[in-house]
Amino acid sequence: MNKLIGAAQGLGAFGLDPLWLVALKAVGIFVILVLVTLITIIMERKVVSWMQMRVGPNRVGPGGSLQSLMDGVKLALKEEIIPRTADRAVYWLAPVIACVPAFMTFAVIPFGPEVSIFGTATPLQLTDFPVSVLYILAISSIGIYGIVLAGWSSGSTYALLGGLRSSAQMISYEIPMGLSFVAVFLYAGSISTSEIVAAQAGTWFIVLLLPSFIIYVMAMVGETNRAPFDLPEAEGELVGGFHTEYSSLKFALFFLAEYINMVTVSALATTLFLGGWRAPWPISLWESANTGWFPMIWFFGKISVFIFVFIWLRGTLPRLRYDQFMKFGWKVLLPVSIGWILIVATARASRNIAGFDTATTARWLLIPLTILLFISWIFEEVKNRRSKRDVELVEDEIAEFDPFAGVHPVPPLPGQVTKSEKSALQVEES
Amino acid sequence: MVIAFWICAALAVFGALGMVFSKKAVHSALFVALTMINLAVLYAILEAPFLSMVQIIVYTGAVMMLFLFVLMVVGVDSSDSLTESIKGQRVPALLGASALGVILIGLLGNITMTNIGFDQAYVAYDGNIDALAGLIFTKYLFAFEATSALLITAALGAMVLTHREHAEKPLTQRDLSVLRFKSGNHPGSLPSPGVYARHNAVDIPALLPDGTMAEISVPKPLAARGAIRLIDLASKDEVQALNRGEAVITSQSTDRVEE
Amino acid sequence: MNNVAIPILALGLIAGAFAVFSVAIASITGPKRYNRARVDAYECGIEPTPQPMGGGRIPVKYYLTAMLFIVFDIEIVFLYPWAVSFDSLGIFGLFEMFLFSASVLVVYAYVWRRGGLEWD
Repeated sequence: MNKLIGAAQGLGAFGLDPLWLVALKAVGIFVILVLVTLITIIMERKVVSWMQMRVGPNRVGPGGSLQSLMDGVKLALKEEIIPRTADRAVYWLAPVIACVPAFMTFAVIPFGPEVSIFGTATPLQLTDFPVSVLYILAISSIGIYGIVLAGWSSGSTYALLGGLRSSAQMISYEIPMGLSFVAVFLYAGSISTSEIVAAQAGTWFIVLLLPSFIIYVMAMVGETNRAPFDLPEAEGELVGGFHTEYSSLKFALFFLAEYINMVTVSALATTLFLGGWRAPWPISLWESANTGWFPMIWFFGKISVFIFVFIWLRGTLPRLRYDQFMKFGWKVLLPVSIGWILIVATARASRNIAGFDTATTARWLLIPLTILLFISWIFEEVKNRRSKRDVELVEDEIAEFDPFAGVHPVPPLPGQVTKSEKSALQVEES
Repeated sequence: MVIAFWICAALAVFGALGMVFSKKAVHSALFVALTMINLAVLYAILEAPFLSMVQIIVYTGAVMMLFLFVLMVVGVDSSDSLTESIKGQRVPALLGASALGVILIGLLGNITMTNIGFDQAYVAYDGNIDALAGLIFTKYLFAFEATSALLITAALGAMVLTHREHAEKPLTQRDLSVLRFKSGNHPGSLPSPGVYARHNAVDIPALLPDGTMAEISVPKPLAARGAIRLIDLASKDEVQALNRGEAVITSQSTDRVEE
Repeated sequence: MNNVAIPILALGLIAGAFAVFSVAIASITGPKRYNRARVDAYECGIEPTPQPMGGGRIPVKYYLTAMLFIVFDIEIVFLYPWAVSFDSLGIFGLFEMFLFSASVLVVYAYVWRRGGLEWD
């Protein structure tokens, strides 16, 4: 990762900072993330309570605004409980593993264009290199370890179940998330965050690649374990999930990591789809909107919109059932995203080769596809009805099939009806 | 760069050794993850950023997750047993391993490596990723397409090994609720323990308005273990009195009066 | 100096120091009142369910999910460089990826039909 790679990819502005500036930026990002977490927590509690016709925290500081800070202090002064059954070393390590990657992913998020800090021109981004979005994916996949290990090392049933659920959930939603990036890379021709923002100087990718954006937003809620996908910490089922056995500052670290991850996925969505730090349309007419320190306002504005949506979702939607949730990830998001990538690629190729514009391509691709989908849906529907009728017809004639009659259980063949199926059918009739 | 290499190389070796010597299987898996991450850093030092990130995503993320799951299938807390199952194999194994080590050090120590054509390749292909794509999707096309066969095999194998066909159609949420009502059992949620009792502990049954104990209010596992605690008769009388509409001074409120 | 890795290292060091400090300080700042029941695994106030000998085991279906994850993860890894240099690969690259995706989708369809994606 030297001058050569950077220069070849137009990333020459990165990696030139003097050490003091690197340190300043790193500390700056750290402080920003901690502050944003505190603000997000208080915002969440306030917004959710307004949505539920409550007042929310209002004791500490003006309007309760220092509540999350005080909560942090309170957590630090709480007794640290390490369960007897815990695997000590891993139990200590897990919050660190969850927390550090959460911070590190922010290293490649662009906050703004080139500015001058104490007379040194530097981009408002800690660093960037040709594969920085991949870096985010890689680091966040390390973060999953924190959760799995927390669940495993606690030596408690609830924690183990929560950790397992969480990891299965995160790996299931990482696939659609990773696939939703592909269309962006295709249009940007790059995997570096700053170049993707640069590629959105004209049109934001949300306009061009709306399905990708929608898939990403759904996957990011699943990735961050937030409502309605907050199954790893489903209180009614698993108490606290993977952090059931954690207390004091170790618990605070998990909490911090969760909120930073929320901010990170929001920042990534902003960077990839909403033009990064670029000003939204009416403001962008003002010429200096995209220069100097102003873009940080637009950037954090967009992030807070995402955070608000996160909170809104939590205030609105009930939690999904786990099997429905996994089904949605594997059977809906995954095929839709692969199909969408192939459509985008075809459209892009037809533009590159035959010179079709977007409207023509859309007409030629989307209309037949919609018709095809519709036909297949009708086909499936007819098939379902017919098979249901068939079962009803034969139901009275054939004997019940007992799968456990022999030594090994045998699944029923087509046409054979087991007892439970029969009773289910009878219920539907009545 | 050289410093970074020595740090990461040492850590990678440490991870490898830790993997072999740790007793708990999950610790071993963690040490492998450490080795993988350090290998990724080594790739990054060798100017292969894409490979480095893929190393973390695929190995640390995916493969290690698989590993963890496998270990947990084996047993969440299982430890290695140190009994020698094949008698007298340790000494020859050690000798063989050290011989292999000597040979490898002797061979690899003599290799000197220089970057040949690195700079030209990057200039020709406009960077690391384009260079990779340019090679994978043209020159090594067949290998790339064959990878999909590998993936098919892997998924198929996992499917065959782990998937169990349902002997009967699994019951849906609807079926279950129908069955619950049909069976004539308590259809709703059970009374919570400790409601009319003098405690809110989960192992103390609730008192019904007539003062009898609702045994269904205590979780079944507790009842099976025989861990139900009974309430004293005094509170039974109190509840019965409450139910008749009489004013009752419970012992708790007496405490308060004394204050 | 022109090194893009040093900033990442710096941020990692700060975050790591913070996390380790927090974990380490927690035992000093908090009170310590030993209670046998408190250090038991939490199960809503009852005696924790005894773990089976050799540790509990988890259902094997997690393995299938992880395996499928790897399959698609590797597909994604191939998709990224393909997407980046899609324009220079031309129509050939498009057909290549169609073929590759089709063969991955074959196994996907198989797993779906066999019920490997059901979670119950």
